[in-house]
Amino acid sequence: MLRFLVRRSLGAIVILLLISAFTFFLFFAAPRDPALLACGRNCGPDALAIIHKNMGLDQPVPVQYWHFMAGIFTGRDFAQGPCPAPCFGYSFATGDAVWNTIVDRFPITLSLTIGAAAVFLFVGLATGMLAAWKQGTLLDKLFSSASLVLSSMQIYFIGPIVLTLLVYNTNLLGQPKYVPITEDPVGWFMGLLIPWCVLSIIFTAQYTRMARSAMIEQLQEEHVRTARAKGMSAATVFFRYAWRGSLIPIVTIFGIDLGTLFGGAMITEVTFALPGLGTLSIESVLRTDLPTVMGVMLFAATFIILFNIIVDAAYALIDPRVRLA
Amino acid sequence: MFQENSARGHFAMTSPSQTAVTKTDTPGLGPDSATSKKGKNGALAGRSPGQLMWARFKRDRTGVISAFIVLSFFALGAFAPLISKFYGKDPWTRYGQTTPGLLVNQYPAGPNGGISSDFWFGLEPGLGRDVFMQLLYGIRNTLGLAVAVTIVSVLTAIVLGVAAGYFGGRTDYFIGRLIDLLMAFPNQLFYVAFVPVVTAIFVAPEDEIPFWMRCTILILVLWFLGWMSLARLLRGQVLSLREREFIEAAKISGASPWRIIRRELVPNVMTPILVQTTYMLPNFVTSIAGLSFLGVGLVEPTPDWGRMFANAADYYHNDITYLFFPGVAMVLFIVAFNLLGDSVRDAFDPKRAR
Repeated sequence: MLRFLVRRSLGAIVILLLISAFTFFLFFAAPRDPALLACGRNCGPDALAIIHKNMGLDQPVPVQYWHFMAGIFTGRDFAQGPCPAPCFGYSFATGDAVWNTIVDRFPITLSLTIGAAAVFLFVGLATGMLAAWKQGTLLDKLFSSASLVLSSMQIYFIGPIVLTLLVYNTNLLGQPKYVPITEDPVGWFMGLLIPWCVLSIIFTAQYTRMARSAMIEQLQEEHVRTARAKGMSAATVFFRYAWRGSLIPIVTIFGIDLGTLFGGAMITEVTFALPGLGTLSIESVLRTDLPTVMGVMLFAATFIILFNIIVDAAYALIDPRVRLA
Repeated sequence: MFQENSARGHFAMTSPSQTAVTKTDTPGLGPDSATSKKGKNGALAGRSPGQLMWARFKRDRTGVISAFIVLSFFALGAFAPLISKFYGKDPWTRYGQTTPGLLVNQYPAGPNGGISSDFWFGLEPGLGRDVFMQLLYGIRNTLGLAVAVTIVSVLTAIVLGVAAGYFGGRTDYFIGRLIDLLMAFPNQLFYVAFVPVVTAIFVAPEDEIPFWMRCTILILVLWFLGWMSLARLLRGQVLSLREREFIEAAKISGASPWRIIRRELVPNVMTPILVQTTYMLPNFVTSIAGLSFLGVGLVEPTPDWGRMFANAADYYHNDITYLFFPGVAMVLFIVAFNLLGDSVRDAFDPKRAR
């Protein structure tokens, strides 16, 4: 297990280096001067020179990349002042340290993701298994067709509809907003309730379909038949044997989804005007704030890779046949 | 594919490539799938795998209906200019502003977003354009882009996947690592971030970006992370196919690797290719719409499906009708396409009964 984790972590570092290099060179090696992009339309030569100096853009790109990567681990000194250890540079647009902005915005994305994941994992698995349990009945057909339609929904379509129904027309709930949980747990919960539900509608539908088909597949396995033949009750077989086997594909997908969502649920955050990482990245993209985009990109990629490793390690715990060499 | 679970192809800008819903398709429908031919007068008529598939597909009512819906969307898109001529309006004219009385305080005067016999789906709040025409041309542009990305991605997946599986060794290793690397990209963020960057590489900031250039950039960026799951799937299939006797026979009879790939391998993996394509295309549609919603897709005045949602976001407090038509159209299209995908898969796989 330890050897597996070490090997996978080394691989992850290589992949992160490649992603950072690819992104960096495309961003900064473009024939266009990134300072010019940063500066916008009304940009005088003075402002340009300041940006150049601040960003170290007067040096060749590989040197800039080296400084950038070294800065992440050791920190570096900019004209604005020193930038301590995890240094991703300063934003072109606001002049804030990119790392501080990410740290500021991340709790919002984290709250959104964890709440939604709890909802869709629980509800999705429960309905999926219920549908598999009652396979072929009216209930199964109802769940299956509902999940088919709901999984084809778009957040930017149902989000406004839910807001209109619950907020603007009836005032049942307030406008979605983020309040730190440390300040006001109730406000945190109420403010994020609508985004959680809307984000999880689509996921729930997909998890229902996945859980149902994984469960049905498992119920046809030989070990399940043997267990039944030995006289175990249907419930025992269902929950102790088939359930465990059906978890494997779901854990994989759940890991991927969680890793992706931690990097920012862009559409949801934009739809509900929540200032998380997703909103930050789209704001920075529209302002061509390259250092911030670069920072969020690496941050998000780290989560995706991290969760891939966690998923592989989790296999070994769920499925005793899997040996991590 | 622009749903938040993007990483697996449903957007979450889900890129189809990472969706890799590996359907276990049997590659056995190839040249040796013993279609018995006993002559024209014999009791048994020979039928090609394609004919068998078609016969099974025709019996599947859900599949036929969804195929009909999907085809209607493509037809509506393709004939949008013709429909525009008969309908008498175009998606660019601001009817609400040129004709007094249609818009009051930015919002359509009539009930339900101004639906009338003149404006079937009502008027756009603010600019007062015709919603029916906007939607039609939006579908046209979005589907056109999605088809282009799908074709390019599938071709890339065939070339790289089959090459990796057939040649093995170092080729396989490098293509495999490339796929691993691209899979680790946060694809939603990648699409959003790279559309402006790639645009900046090709077009000077002071220049107007031509329409075809925007389309090319969108196709390029979506393609970049769009081909991996199919390529990985094909690699696996080819890996097992290349050990089979008919490949050996072809090799012994002196066929070149290119000929073996073209004439022996690719026909045998057509089933997974077709099935995966029907899953990829709707994902690309939602991705493109998601990009437009976030503001990095096609821009005004080009009519665009996804941007209608972004426009609707400014007005839905007072006029939800404008959101309704593009939304329902998209749900209908995606549901129909997903059902079609399932039916195609079932039709190709005789062992799988619904």
